[in-house]
Amino acid sequence: MSKVKSFFKGIGSWFREFGEAVVKGDAFTRLSLLVMGAQNIRSKQVIRGIIMTVVEIIVILYTVLIGSGFIADLATLGTVERKVEFNMNTMKNEVNDYDHSFQILLFGIISVIILAAFVLFWINNMRNAYQLQKDREAGKHISSFKEDMVSLINEKFYKSLLFIPCAGVIVFTIVPLIVMIAVAFTNYDKTHLPPTQLLSWVGLDNFKNLFSNSISLTFGYTFRKILVWTLVWAFFATFTTYIGGILLSMLINNPKTKVKKLWRTLFIIAIAVPQFVTLLLVRNFFADSGIVNTICSNIGLTGFLRDVGILEAGMNYIPFLTDPVWAKVMIILINIWIGVPYLMLIATGVLMNIPGELTEAARIDGANKFQIFRKITMPYMLAVTGPYLVTQFVANINNFNVIYLLTQDVYTTTDQALANSSGKETDLLVTWLFRLTQEEYNYKMASVIGIMVFVICAIFTLLAFNRVTGNGKEEDFR
Amino acid sequence: MRKKLLATLLATTMVVGGLTGCGSGSDSGSGSDSTSEAKEKEDVTLTVWGAEEDQEVLSTMIENFKTEYADMANWTIELGAESESKAKDDVLNDVEAAADVYAFADDQLDALVEAGALQEVTLDTDTIIEENGGSDSGSVQAASYDGKLYAYPMTADNGYFMFYNSEYFTEDDVQSLDTMMSVAAEAGKTVAMTLNEGYYLYSFFQGAGLELYKNDDGTNTCTWNATDGTYTGTDVAQAVVDIAKNSGFKSMADAEIVSGIENGEVIAAVSGTWNAETAELAWGDNYAATKLPTFTCAGDQVQMSSFAGYKLIGVNPYSDYAGYAMTLAQYLTNYDNQVLRFQERGLGPSNVEAASSDDVQSNPAIAALAEQAQYATTQRVGDNFWDPSATLGKILANGNKKNQDLQEMLDTAVEGIVAK
Repeated sequence: MSKVKSFFKGIGSWFREFGEAVVKGDAFTRLSLLVMGAQNIRSKQVIRGIIMTVVEIIVILYTVLIGSGFIADLATLGTVERKVEFNMNTMKNEVNDYDHSFQILLFGIISVIILAAFVLFWINNMRNAYQLQKDREAGKHISSFKEDMVSLINEKFYKSLLFIPCAGVIVFTIVPLIVMIAVAFTNYDKTHLPPTQLLSWVGLDNFKNLFSNSISLTFGYTFRKILVWTLVWAFFATFTTYIGGILLSMLINNPKTKVKKLWRTLFIIAIAVPQFVTLLLVRNFFADSGIVNTICSNIGLTGFLRDVGILEAGMNYIPFLTDPVWAKVMIILINIWIGVPYLMLIATGVLMNIPGELTEAARIDGANKFQIFRKITMPYMLAVTGPYLVTQFVANINNFNVIYLLTQDVYTTTDQALANSSGKETDLLVTWLFRLTQEEYNYKMASVIGIMVFVICAIFTLLAFNRVTGNGKEEDFR
Repeated sequence: MRKKLLATLLATTMVVGGLTGCGSGSDSGSGSDSTSEAKEKEDVTLTVWGAEEDQEVLSTMIENFKTEYADMANWTIELGAESESKAKDDVLNDVEAAADVYAFADDQLDALVEAGALQEVTLDTDTIIEENGGSDSGSVQAASYDGKLYAYPMTADNGYFMFYNSEYFTEDDVQSLDTMMSVAAEAGKTVAMTLNEGYYLYSFFQGAGLELYKNDDGTNTCTWNATDGTYTGTDVAQAVVDIAKNSGFKSMADAEIVSGIENGEVIAAVSGTWNAETAELAWGDNYAATKLPTFTCAGDQVQMSSFAGYKLIGVNPYSDYAGYAMTLAQYLTNYDNQVLRFQERGLGPSNVEAASSDDVQSNPAIAALAEQAQYATTQRVGDNFWDPSATLGKILANGNKKNQDLQEMLDTAVEGIVAK
């Protein structure tokens, strides 16, 4: 809580300094309100002052000439629909000056961001101007442009270093993210595809759809069902591979195991094969008429399962990937096979790091192997790999590959309510989202689901990280 | 225009423009600049998208086009590979970046027209309609929207029919699905069809006179749950369940049909030319094809319907050279090239003259499709049809194991199909 408080305090004092500058500043400081960098020029920071003025002119020109148009259109997302007429003489299409809704959305948001950034820059300029004025009046040394530049590769080097990654994050992550969030409040779907058709704002309608449930609109039902399976999957996928990896690495590390390197290499080869190749092959192995089913029916397993009632009468194959329950179990099992080698590598490293004196002391005290595992190995592993577990859980919530590649084109749901919203029992939120955009062009609902996934992942990560990294558990073992 | 120019300028300066896939620079010109010098030869750059398997024959056609139409413009034509069944996905993803001329399957026409991704055919329209059998012919219907022609018919062989191994079946046997299934059951073999796809399931319901079609607003009208009329929805559903339970029948996905044909398990299948090729290789001289058979519905023999399928070539209205693109599209689908396509690739022509040649008529698959044509309908279906019908098909194909009430099941499916 104190962090939040001091954050707001910081913002408060920042604005207070701005007010102070306006009220108490001299003529040039106040002139900086209009002409940014006026105080800099007055204080002989000519180059810096000119740069600031030029930036101001560019931003104002951009906003007046281009940005304002987009920002104004942002309210409606465009009103003029595209009309095409073919001109026989020129053999070309004549197109009216139409509104491209998505471009308006994109550039409108970019313009707003530029404007907002500029306002911050402008406020900051006032604070600096006032500070500069005070320094000048107090007769302090005022840094020259050259000194400023030099400081950027010396004491302020962190700023130079952070500039590129920060700019990258803003341009490539934050801007598209904001645009995608905005899409959730529009009617962007297959009957409203820009540039030919116009988009418009629909407020919270899409969110209402996600949580409501009518007979023909089963998004609410589908969302709940898929969310539950997503969490169940993430839990099992994370912990089965985790436990499996630890057990495997302990097995390989066991002094009695021979040719350790061979085993380790074998499992690493499993990583070396691209995941999608493995998954598509496995999907074919486990198809209803695939090789595994042929083997099972030849050795009589299919018949046996039918006799004991696991398979229904009349089934002459095991529906590995076509029955909801079988498919879910199979997906988790196949994922173990794919995920365990990674965990084995990590666990091998951590296990070798466990201080020998700990286990030795335990053994002298009469602990058996299982007790050592439970009381020393596991707690130590958990403390070291806790953050990894959290990220792995979140990654599994979004584990697109395994689910999509194993079930796409193979699995058809028998739940009609799910089918009416293009969902399947085995879908995760992300695979559902993917098919909504790629097959149904339902960008608005996909956007809403995307926001929900983000919220779920963010809440989980925050809670879990606070617990896991809250107290330095590793120190307990030292 | 000013705003757009600035937008383009902005797009090039901002890296973001490229990132989000927002097209730049492909906006059509205002058209005011070239009227005065219409006679001068223009530099025309076009992109063509065609199926992977057709690349070779397409590049031949394009080379021929360049020489034949050398007087018209200075051509630069690029050829790209794009599956005809997936063309819609890539075109709609970014219509401004899509090819000027592209091939696609006729079921995508409505969506493409509605998204403004197809140019209305305004050059030589009457000739094209006439060559393909007049405005009532299936191929022209399939290429039209609201009575206007939006694409150039290219092939007429994209539907499904029955192909069988004549070692097991006589020509009389293949008239009725019941006979076929009992023959197959006796031989310990299988008649295969994909029931858990709306595309094939349609053949039963449409055959029994129940309706499914797309409305103007993109939703569907569907009477598969009808409780009145000659046959009710439950009659048909029960018929499909009975077929699915028959030991001489198996519902199989495409890939399974192929492997079934190869290992000899499947001796007859309802599918399209894409799988018939495998059967032709496997069965050799015993390979035969015909229209779909009749099935038993409420005690009667009812002829199965089907979706007639066509492949079309369309022009992108975002093309800078729409007129030249139309000329090229027309050339790619003219008589000569449809014949060439048949010779090189075995694709059935939509051009009436080309289709009536003896060579084409003697091809079993194409003859079977022509025979089925009288029972077939063009595929005009809204997107909401596919998922609910696939699920309905799967429940029926499983023999309705949970004994769900058929009427209720059909009601739910129809609700999903007609949903907005």
